[in-house]
Amino acid sequence: MSRKSRPATVRSTSLQATPLERTRRKRNIFSYVALLPAALLVLGLMVLPIGATVWHSFTNWDGVNSTFIGLKNFELIFHNPIIYQVLLNSLIFLISVPLILVASLIAAVLVYEKVLGWRVFRFLFFIPMVLSPVIVGVLFSTFFLPGGAVDQVLRVFGLGNFSWLGNPWSARVVVILALVWASFGFGMVVLLSAMSTVDTALYDAAAIDGASWWRRLRSITIPMISGSLQFLSVINVIYTFTSLFAFVYVITAGGPGFSTTTVDYYTYITTFENGQFGYGAALALLLFLIVLTLTIAQVKLFPNREVQQGS
Amino acid sequence: MRSRISRGLVFTTLCLIGVSTVYPLVFMAVNSMRTTQAFELNPFGLPTHLSLSSYSALFSTVPFFQSILHSLFVVVPAVILATFASSLAAFVFTKVPIKLGNVLFWTMLMIMFMPGIVVLLPLYVEVARTGLANNFAPAIFIYTAINIPYGTYLLRSNFRAIPDSVVEAARVDGASWFKIFLRVILPIGKPGIITVGILTFLNIWNDLFISLVLLHAPNTEMVTPTLAQLSGKYTSNIPVLMAGLLLGALPTLILYFATARVFIRGMLSGAVR
Repeated sequence: MSRKSRPATVRSTSLQATPLERTRRKRNIFSYVALLPAALLVLGLMVLPIGATVWHSFTNWDGVNSTFIGLKNFELIFHNPIIYQVLLNSLIFLISVPLILVASLIAAVLVYEKVLGWRVFRFLFFIPMVLSPVIVGVLFSTFFLPGGAVDQVLRVFGLGNFSWLGNPWSARVVVILALVWASFGFGMVVLLSAMSTVDTALYDAAAIDGASWWRRLRSITIPMISGSLQFLSVINVIYTFTSLFAFVYVITAGGPGFSTTTVDYYTYITTFENGQFGYGAALALLLFLIVLTLTIAQVKLFPNREVQQGS
Repeated sequence: MRSRISRGLVFTTLCLIGVSTVYPLVFMAVNSMRTTQAFELNPFGLPTHLSLSSYSALFSTVPFFQSILHSLFVVVPAVILATFASSLAAFVFTKVPIKLGNVLFWTMLMIMFMPGIVVLLPLYVEVARTGLANNFAPAIFIYTAINIPYGTYLLRSNFRAIPDSVVEAARVDGASWFKIFLRVILPIGKPGIITVGILTFLNIWNDLFISLVLLHAPNTEMVTPTLAQLSGKYTSNIPVLMAGLLLGALPTLILYFATARVFIRGMLSGAVR
């Protein structure tokens, strides 16, 4: 703080003592005024609602009247067998995280080889990222309709029509495929950005020592970008729990049964379709606690400078 | 990786991934121009004759064009507001001395990881209670607020790269903080700000959850809920569905194609984290 104000000091000593104080006060006023739009919006439309959700998770709330019922909502949650199914689904969907990491890594490493047209590939790989999960989801569900594109390809191999979305496991596979396809472009960009900071002298030295391409990938590239891999892992775990709503909504609507219903989708149904707002608030809070626990666990599991510095 | 064979292998793999990302677009485009019968006979390959009947069917059954307008009506002001508020906040957090700046910043970051439903649930009730359901204003402000923490986070790392000496020099010249923001930070930080603006646009345009909950009347519905419901109504008529998907994707695709140079560079320069 003092370092920055020094030039102003030099200037104001030639005048009087008061202008300096005035700049300091003005500077403070500016910083508060400048923060005001962001602060008001975030406070009013995020912090207050979060507080309201916390409060209402202890109430029986139909959207109009609410009565305090203590921990009853949470008790109901833990006695609801569907919750365990839904949690299990989210855990199953976590399979997508390593798949996204591997796909992103493959794309990034291959693009980084800078073969003919690599810029074009980089441009193309990003296309899924700009499409809405709704569009990706509808596309994938179209491909996997009985007798749809995938079945027609399989017919060549003598396999018949299969109800992909009518079977719990294959429905999950479709959701996971859509998710991986939609997400690897972002992962690739994050990894490419990390790889561009790796000192090329390392590769040259390794090449002189006769290290193979695989060896260089394993011993230089991956360790040097481990911070970004961890970042992607954290982000995608959060995403799997909190943002599969659109995919599930258009691909399976949570079915068959509850086999592809995620926590966020289930909260949506109980809240906005069944009007159980207090119960929904408790579910939403539970979702937040799960995400928080998983994020802390990942940061602790891989103690890494980059994430802890918050760079 | 010097040999010709291995480079060929890399190229082939890249081509395969590239086909997987482009083919769905081609699939949408080609099949939107087929009739339903032609689609059922042959969903691949090139159409023998083009038909635009799916597009007229789309426009006559759902107010598709209006839904695009509704989306633009919400997304454009929200993107401008969010990017402006985030830029100002990021400027304060990086260049202007402020008490508790770090505390404020980290609080914002915590809020960023909050699942959307935690925030939206009471807002939905409040919006309905005050009779503002299916009104664009709450949607615009809620989208703005939800995108501010991420925008601020990204722009903070961006503005950090601007040397403090530039700001100090302007201070010595007697420029006010607001002037420094307008004349120094905005021009230098422009690529980062544009990247964040595009990301915010994609976030809001592509979102289903908030638009579905807040704007569900036919005369306010945005494009993603319209598309999501289209898939329920038209699973039997894939060409109409594909026409809708393609038109719904077009604004984001155009934005990406038009700005790819700046956008990709911005993303690569570490703007995303």
